[in-house]
Amino acid sequence: MNSNNDSLISKGKARLALVVVLGIFFIFLLFMISIAFGPVNIPLNEVWNSLVTVFNEGPQTGYDRIIYNLRMPRVIGVFAVGMGLSVAGAVFQAIIRNPLVDPYITGVSSGAGLGATIAITSGLTLSVLPINILTPVGAFVGALVAFALTFLVAEGSGGRAINYVLGGVIIGMGFSSFTTIYMMFSGDQVHNILLFLFGSFIGVTWSNLWLIVVPILSMVFVILLYAPELNVILLGEEQAQQLGINVRRFNLFMLILASLLTACCVAFVGIIGFVGLIVPHTARMIVGGDHRLLLPSSMIIGALVMASADLIAKMAYVPNELPVGAIMTLIGVPFFAYLLIRRGKEYAA
Amino acid sequence: MPHENGSMISANNVDLYYDDFQALYEVVFEAKAGEMIGLIGPNGCGKSTLLRTINGMLKPSGGTIYVDGKDIHKLSLSEIAKTCSNVPTEFPPDFNLSVLEVVMMGRYPHRKGIWWETPDDELIAREALRKFEIDHLADRNINRLSSGERQRTLIAKAYVQEPRVMLVDEPTAHLDMRYKLEVMEYLRDLMEKEKDMTVIIASHDINLMVKYCDKIILVKEGHIVGIGKPEEIVTEENIAKVYGVQCTVYRDGDGEVIIHPKHSLRLHS
Repeated sequence: MNSNNDSLISKGKARLALVVVLGIFFIFLLFMISIAFGPVNIPLNEVWNSLVTVFNEGPQTGYDRIIYNLRMPRVIGVFAVGMGLSVAGAVFQAIIRNPLVDPYITGVSSGAGLGATIAITSGLTLSVLPINILTPVGAFVGALVAFALTFLVAEGSGGRAINYVLGGVIIGMGFSSFTTIYMMFSGDQVHNILLFLFGSFIGVTWSNLWLIVVPILSMVFVILLYAPELNVILLGEEQAQQLGINVRRFNLFMLILASLLTACCVAFVGIIGFVGLIVPHTARMIVGGDHRLLLPSSMIIGALVMASADLIAKMAYVPNELPVGAIMTLIGVPFFAYLLIRRGKEYAA
Repeated sequence: MPHENGSMISANNVDLYYDDFQALYEVVFEAKAGEMIGLIGPNGCGKSTLLRTINGMLKPSGGTIYVDGKDIHKLSLSEIAKTCSNVPTEFPPDFNLSVLEVVMMGRYPHRKGIWWETPDDELIAREALRKFEIDHLADRNINRLSSGERQRTLIAKAYVQEPRVMLVDEPTAHLDMRYKLEVMEYLRDLMEKEKDMTVIIASHDINLMVKYCDKIILVKEGHIVGIGKPEEIVTEENIAKVYGVQCTVYRDGDGEVIIHPKHSLRLHS
């Protein structure tokens, strides 16, 4: 029964290979669908022709330009943000050791919301930077400020993972209230603020795509390296410490890294909820708790779920776009309710 | 391979404070390889504190603890992990880990590969599953085990860490009569095979400790009151002094020492 092929390690490696192969296949599929469908639907054979043309001689026809200029950078951004938020969620759930936690637990989203709101409302009068740069900068700075405050509160109250949850909730509420007050005085900018608060990929272009993709993927890569340590952390702080991990330092490093990752995810596209909560969960149900499988699976499922939500956001109300965050949340709420009813009791203590 | 003077653990005048509160007072004791030691004493007397000082998680404010000839508080965390392992009473809520996955994590301090454990690690883990007779549960979710099986899983995890000293905190707290005996029997079997390991068990179950341990350490309010053979330490006088309980200590038909509590001394002191 315990032959070599049956070993946990080779089984794990085989499952990882399967996850990667399936993942590449489905991501390619959703890539094709995402560049084909939108306010203008492009037949799939035309999509292929356009891809070949774009690859060889750059965009020529109208279809080429829609695909190359609008849809390709957008779907790549969608994939990156979906991966980033899902991995950040998985990390927070492991470190805080509570599966009902999401990447916004340390106040990053509320900070980004306020930063973006200030940028949007003051952008016109300030005009140092164009609004499409000022907003992500504001959001990123806001996210960092919020995390820094959470950090101070959490470290001041003992520095354990639970202190980060409590600190993050308080700081998040504070920032959200500021955002609400700002919105009262923002006049005709309310629409733009809401677009950020519920997230949208409409602003992703080739010129800012690298600023989204490169930081997200590099932080995801670093987190992947620490998958074995994240596994050991699941045994509890005391056990992890006794297995040779400096838990305080490791948790702090991971919390900072995951918060930075979250900040990069929200800076350009706004606050997209639920993906970072439900995706690691779904992945955990499918592949189990081992982060060497869980993190790659979360990346793939995150990318796919995000692309599907973005597709709905683009298509449901043509010619207008719905905020993708709201679509995500609509998908997420029933799932989250189900999760609470099924599993919430286990975490009551 | 016991240390030169024959002791696996040697604690020398260990004092330990939690802020202003002194939890351990000039603790001195020696433990040899191959010994299974029961650590008993009332709630809050410092049993867990002593365990956590032995494995370097708490730093004493005075004195030293040598484990396997090395000052444990001068070792790095990963060196400690190869010297001492720990069996907790409780296991945190489940994150979908299987029995084998949990036991494999005991190999973390010895990891050679990056990301994946080596086949050797798995061999060691699977052998531990057989030793503690949980191999049929290898793929079972850790949350779906009986308390006894979970305790054996945690002992197996501590065992594959290949420690010199295994520290076991309240292994039988949540177990019924049969599982209590079972867990102790597994630990005893382990001692028969692993002659160069020391096991220290903190417990409230005095009878169980007396039955299975080679030595008893009796602790009261951070002081070691007695250390020695079970029948020397667990006496009516000592129990009255440390626990404030009037008891009878006798031997049953098989010659086993039994302690039977009569009443607390709260009204009689």
